[in-house]
Amino acid sequence: MGVEFEPKIVAFMCNWCTYAGADNAGVARMESPSNVLPIRVMCSGRISPEMVMRAFRAGADGVLVMGCHIGDCHYSTGNHRSVKRMPLLRNLLATVGVNPERLELTWVSAAEAPRFVQVTHSFTDKIRSLGPLSQEVAE
Amino acid sequence: MIDEIRKIVAERLNETDDKGARLDGMVALRRTGPAVAPHVFVAGDDLSTLEINPRYPLMTVVSRLHKRLPDIRLGVVARGCDERAYVEMAKRNQIDPERLVILGFACTAEEALECYCAEPFPKNLVVGTPAAPGPQNPIVAKYDTMTLAERRAFWKQQFVKCIKCYGCRNICPECFCEACAMEDKAWVEPGFLAPPFPAFHLIRAMHMASRCIACRQCEHTCPAHIPLTVLYDLMRRDMEALLGYVPGADLAALPPLSVTLEQTPLLLGDAHDPATIPLAPIGR
Amino acid sequence: MDYKNTLTTCIYCGCGCQMNIETLDGQIIGVWPSKTQEISQGKLCIKGWNVTSFSDHADRLTTPLIRKNGELVEASWDEALTLMAERLGAIKTESGPDSVAFLASAKCTNEENYLFNKLARAVFNTNNIDHCARL
Repeated sequence: MGVEFEPKIVAFMCNWCTYAGADNAGVARMESPSNVLPIRVMCSGRISPEMVMRAFRAGADGVLVMGCHIGDCHYSTGNHRSVKRMPLLRNLLATVGVNPERLELTWVSAAEAPRFVQVTHSFTDKIRSLGPLSQEVAE
Repeated sequence: MIDEIRKIVAERLNETDDKGARLDGMVALRRTGPAVAPHVFVAGDDLSTLEINPRYPLMTVVSRLHKRLPDIRLGVVARGCDERAYVEMAKRNQIDPERLVILGFACTAEEALECYCAEPFPKNLVVGTPAAPGPQNPIVAKYDTMTLAERRAFWKQQFVKCIKCYGCRNICPECFCEACAMEDKAWVEPGFLAPPFPAFHLIRAMHMASRCIACRQCEHTCPAHIPLTVLYDLMRRDMEALLGYVPGADLAALPPLSVTLEQTPLLLGDAHDPATIPLAPIGR
Repeated sequence: MDYKNTLTTCIYCGCGCQMNIETLDGQIIGVWPSKTQEISQGKLCIKGWNVTSFSDHADRLTTPLIRKNGELVEASWDEALTLMAERLGAIKTESGPDSVAFLASAKCTNEENYLFNKLARAVFNTNNIDHCARL
């Protein structure tokens, strides 16, 4: 009552670009939202739909998948997989009536600390305005 | 039609190819008393017991035999959906195209209607005349007009019926993984009935996106009457819009989720900026 | 190549769903629900789909076992049945019929279970009989 909803965000970050970008943001003392729970993975292509669903099931109100820009993947084409898989999963969420905006794929390089901060802030704000997933799914 | 199929099967079983080799058997359905089940007919068998109904995923039988008997050469009496199943299975090394001859026959217009089948005939059509495609599933047809809340309500009401028999997976010709994500405790928590939303059904739907050939076997075998193919039809539609891939259509087409953007590019939006990739079809 | 589908009825409960056990050269390779049977209409539950999983399971007992000096030892049916008749008879004489209980298997046929029930009630004069159908 009167307590503002603070979303839980699970952010999968690739080891080579986004995680380094997030690290640099921290080193530069830029502030990113504490709502974001980072999970470091070796490649955004490693993120299977099951992992995203488990994050939602475990209480995440939003899931961010972040990796290297196309062309910069440490494994050449790992992010080619994620850029096909995640939009498809967004479609599936929409199909079963979960707001697809709760899942976002984006690219953040190691040199883009400000972008990391901007992306995490705007995603957190978006999910905050959508409200808790548990409420949406319980309806 | 059935007499013609029996006649052609008998001919094929007795035929020798230019190297003098014969087919080792013909996969089809056999009637025994009131029961019909998959069977492998060999030369000299009584073919008056060969049947074409009810539909079983016969390509699974072919696959099981191909894997266990590395030299066996088979024929199969196939419908359009069987042939599409073959395409996706052969692509994933579950069937050896070199050791299979497809004897295709066309489904009746009534069957096409019943299955909402877009292509009720195989490309290797040997018997019958192609019937007109069946209509789209009415739920799929009106799906875009449903709000997120209506969709959610619809699927919750369906998924709650699930008794987690895994029949949808077991009967599916395209489900052949040795380790199934739906049996992995990390993704589907044990001890919940119905399985908790959304994991179980959505995992299968995602895995079916580049495989489902719309044979409707899963829906027919579901003891809870969950309209699974509505979900998979919508996945197929999104897959086609986003990546231009139609499972079962082309043996040479690469499964887009397993290959690079150079091999199968995104048809909507710009991969360099995933925010530009719209939901498919646009506006949904 | 000896490929067969053998029509049978699920052993797990009283519904009577039918399935075809798919075998290749005597080895079970799959289960197909029977689509021609009116009861199950091509549908099975998880137990039916996995009905063959125990058939060649390493833990499956294929001979009777008798505990000798604290160890379970494989025995012949004659030996096991003789021992049971002797011991159960002695226990009944010593402590009365209600000192013995009978537990039947749901995986036996109705007829076998009927006979088992007769053995308990008519031969041993006890009503202590139950079954394991609590899977």
